[in-house]
Amino acid sequence: MSTDSGNGEKKNFVITRFDPDTDEVPKTQEYEIPIQSDWKVLDAINFIKDEIDPTISHRWSCRMAVCGSCGMMVDGEPKLTCKTALSDYGDTVTIEPLANFPVIRDLVVEIEGFMEKFKRVKPWVILAKEQAADGPPKSERGTYVQSPAELAEFKQFSMCINCMLCYSACPVVANEAEFLGPAAIALGHRYNLDSRDHGQDERNEIFRDEGTVFSCSFANECSEVCPKNVDPAAAVNQAKFGAVIDWATGFIVPRGAGNAPEREEE
Amino acid sequence: MAGPAHPNAMAPAKPGRTRTAPPQMPATWWSHPRIRTYLLFGSTGAVYLLLGLFALRVVWALGSGPEAWNAAIAELESPLYIAFHGLGLASVIFVGVRFFGFFPKAQPSRIGPAKPPPPPVILAMLYLAWIGVTILFVAILAGGLF
Repeated sequence: MSTDSGNGEKKNFVITRFDPDTDEVPKTQEYEIPIQSDWKVLDAINFIKDEIDPTISHRWSCRMAVCGSCGMMVDGEPKLTCKTALSDYGDTVTIEPLANFPVIRDLVVEIEGFMEKFKRVKPWVILAKEQAADGPPKSERGTYVQSPAELAEFKQFSMCINCMLCYSACPVVANEAEFLGPAAIALGHRYNLDSRDHGQDERNEIFRDEGTVFSCSFANECSEVCPKNVDPAAAVNQAKFGAVIDWATGFIVPRGAGNAPEREEE
Repeated sequence: MAGPAHPNAMAPAKPGRTRTAPPQMPATWWSHPRIRTYLLFGSTGAVYLLLGLFALRVVWALGSGPEAWNAAIAELESPLYIAFHGLGLASVIFVGVRFFGFFPKAQPSRIGPAKPPPPPVILAMLYLAWIGVTILFVAILAGGLF
């Protein structure tokens, strides 16, 4: 399909199409469209949907690299399409759904498996038992007060927008279905570093399970493609240290004794 | 897309009502320079395996008398063995440099109250330790210590 609005430069887009009602396997469809020099890849996909083929399905929302909805494979690399300049690509641009995910339709992937992995790492502040019983912790500094230094410990890992690009880039995710994956481990590690949290023992136990931090082979691809510079590879490998140190100190200070009170989730 | 990923990669525990296409990997995943470096890193394992087998062969010769030992030492002078050990040295340096490059960011942000030193200091410590251990081994093998 093609259109010509007389604006000058054109690009050819090869887009993956899949209709679960009619297609056995995904196929590709080509569109030649006029583009503008300041367009992002998402602008081109929206143009195709608005002007040429309204049957294309894709996810997008904020257009400013915050919502994490518009992740797709652009010329074989996972990208946030709202942040990816079209001018960086050649005359033909290939757009596919995120790799390593089941495809629901066209460029829309199934994210339920991703959400299930997130839940496993208990991504919330877990209070110590006495805190849970007495309400929010009240120190001389006030309720939930956190110093800038304490915030800096985990802030980088809290910037994740759940765009799933790291899962799409990870060679372990592609080959090991049970692997928790970069973003989920980074989120769990983020809470382990939070000064308000007392759930490190629980999460480190999860991190020592099969298919978690020790499945990571440190390819570093997750950090290379992360659009928010979260550096999930750093989180995963720091979590390895944390899980091992927690395991080793468990021999000295048994779980549930001394300064390791029973935990309740907030 | 071309190569299939694990058929259950990122699949939910219970399948949804809509039939999905199986997860795929990009057709050219292996051609990306970063992935090629990663594959090269992984393939050095084969070199270490061969080096290990060679070490076993030398240990076996050591226990089989002077003739077997001298034959094993003579083999080391062949160009094939020299090239193989050159490959082994290159593999060790490549893996060391890659590992050291990633090491600082894999450090925990703190262990108890102690914070790790800045990355340049960690790198300097790693390379100094590497050089020190290498000098120690060369000194031992040259008979300088024992």
